[in-house]
Amino acid sequence: MGSLFRGSASGRVGLALLAVLAAAAVLSPVLASDRPLLSFGSEGPGLPAMAAYPILGRLVPAGRPGDRSVLACPIPYSPQGISLRERLEPPSGRHWLGTDDLGRDVLARIIAAAPVSLSVGLVASGISMVLGLLLGGIAGYAGGIVDLAISRLMEVVLCFPTIFLILALVAFLPPSIWTVMAAIGVTSWPEEARYARAEILRAKTLDSTLALRAAGARPARILFRHLLPGALPPVLVSATFGVASAILAEAGLSFLGVGVPPPAPSWGGILGISEAYLDQAWWLAVFPGIAIFLTIAAYNLVGEAWRQALDPLAIAPARTMGRGRWRQRRSIPAASIR
Amino acid sequence: MTRYLGRRVLLAVPTAAGILVAVFAIAHLAPGDAASALARGGRRVPPAAAAELRRIYGLDRPLPEQLWNWTRRAVRFDFGRSFQDGRPVAERIREALPFTLALNGCALVLTLLLGIPIGVAQARRAGRAFDRIVDGVLFALYSMPSFWIAMLLLALFSVRLGWLPLFGASSDLPASAGVVARGLDRARHALLPVLCLTYVSLAFFARMVRSSVAAEIPKEYVVAVRARGASWTRAIWGHALRNALLPLLTVVGLMIPGLLSGSVLIEQIFAWPGLGRLFYGAILARDYPVILALSTLTALLTLASILATDLLYAAADPRIRRG
Repeated sequence: MGSLFRGSASGRVGLALLAVLAAAAVLSPVLASDRPLLSFGSEGPGLPAMAAYPILGRLVPAGRPGDRSVLACPIPYSPQGISLRERLEPPSGRHWLGTDDLGRDVLARIIAAAPVSLSVGLVASGISMVLGLLLGGIAGYAGGIVDLAISRLMEVVLCFPTIFLILALVAFLPPSIWTVMAAIGVTSWPEEARYARAEILRAKTLDSTLALRAAGARPARILFRHLLPGALPPVLVSATFGVASAILAEAGLSFLGVGVPPPAPSWGGILGISEAYLDQAWWLAVFPGIAIFLTIAAYNLVGEAWRQALDPLAIAPARTMGRGRWRQRRSIPAASIR
Repeated sequence: MTRYLGRRVLLAVPTAAGILVAVFAIAHLAPGDAASALARGGRRVPPAAAAELRRIYGLDRPLPEQLWNWTRRAVRFDFGRSFQDGRPVAERIREALPFTLALNGCALVLTLLLGIPIGVAQARRAGRAFDRIVDGVLFALYSMPSFWIAMLLLALFSVRLGWLPLFGASSDLPASAGVVARGLDRARHALLPVLCLTYVSLAFFARMVRSSVAAEIPKEYVVAVRARGASWTRAIWGHALRNALLPLLTVVGLMIPGLLSGSVLIEQIFAWPGLGRLFYGAILARDYPVILALSTLTALLTLASILATDLLYAAADPRIRRG
């Protein structure tokens, strides 16, 4: 994918940001934990912080509670570590980004929230991509009444202001992170479906498709084996923007207090707490917002660069006005993508 | 034209029906019925409210009959009474609607008034420093969550500097206050919420204007206009922009649901007594009649605006109406 963005500096910035975010998300249990990274006790060395990983954690020696800490985690606070004596402390050498209303370290919570937000974004966008590919593909290939019905369904979903629909779903379903993912996923697929449908409509008329039909391939086989894979690139681009809006939606829901249920940390949740302390704790409002902003910007940058790489015509040579000069941006030929 | 019009309006009918069915389906997703869902929230449900609920949804009836009853009531906008204060839902919505329309109307007008000149200015200098810098700024704005910016603005202007009111749509002014004073008070309350709603849609819309105008400028008719001796300004504002605006009409229609979505968060932060705040309050109180009524209403409002922009588009572009 790196070579895809050779022409786009902003795309590379986006990719780099995404890499940092992904690393922070994957490493979050060892980046911020009150347990030592490396300890030494009667049973030899232990890796208590690493033991917090779901499966990997069982393979490493967890050490014992009384073991001597050799190496602490970079941020030696648990995201859940309540310390009421340190409530609402401003950023300092001890707590780099300050503490929240329960004395929890804000940086630790922001890092621990990264995997939550990213997984909500990826899963929700994945759901909407699969739904969009299926429904959009079937609509485009079948045409006629099926197309009409699916297009109406798309319009129905489009008509609901997203937050209204998601809030209504979240209100009626039991609160959990899965509800949030599902609600965001099933409300955002029409965008992907639109791209898939348009792509299938185009590919349906190709000679190669006609040849497949002449060879006796069943419609399902033509659609799923031959046409949909070709529709993947534009849908993936749309899904990349979809990750950004899913993360935004999750943050908004958690901000309102109906997203990821506490005590699990979430960026929107920290922002929500800050509302009550606007006059005394600016750091609660500033830092989680920066995390959301950078994440959304990263996905949007990558999506934008990818879209331009797929469709060089979208940045058609722009004539600079009044000088009679043509200036062409460097763009990647479409052939290099397939 | 009549044929296109008829077809487009006819197609909106199944969509409207779909909206009603979708809201019905959401209400039935709740495990158990709405009354037991209310009880699940740890609240004591007065038997009267539970009976009211069962009456409203006719929960003892077969599903198709329930759907039919729901549709009949929804069409007449009879959503029963709010659980929170027992007043008719329609009355509560009537009170909140003007506030939301004012907020979103201002935001939409500002978006168009600012977005078009910005986009055109960028397109005229496509690829140059001005274009790139403005594009970067718009991109950054587009990626900033509006509820975050709202909090920061609130913290700065209302809490720290004390220049603007903290919340609400108006203050308690003495009865002697004149029209000007009242108007100023309203404007001071509306300033930050409108700003927060505007910047997101502005960032989105200006980029669309930029790309569609930039796509028109290299076309031959623009050169032809120049060849006849018109200035660049005239060629762009009078000719290129007019052609570029057509597809943008659709975008404006699709911006409405986004604005309404945004107003849930923004109205909540600024305690603005509009539909978004009413809806969120209803969600927290599990006030199902209000939730269902507002889901239906906002979706139908959006459908109407999409339909209106489609028809405007057809009126402006002969290629569409001839099919």
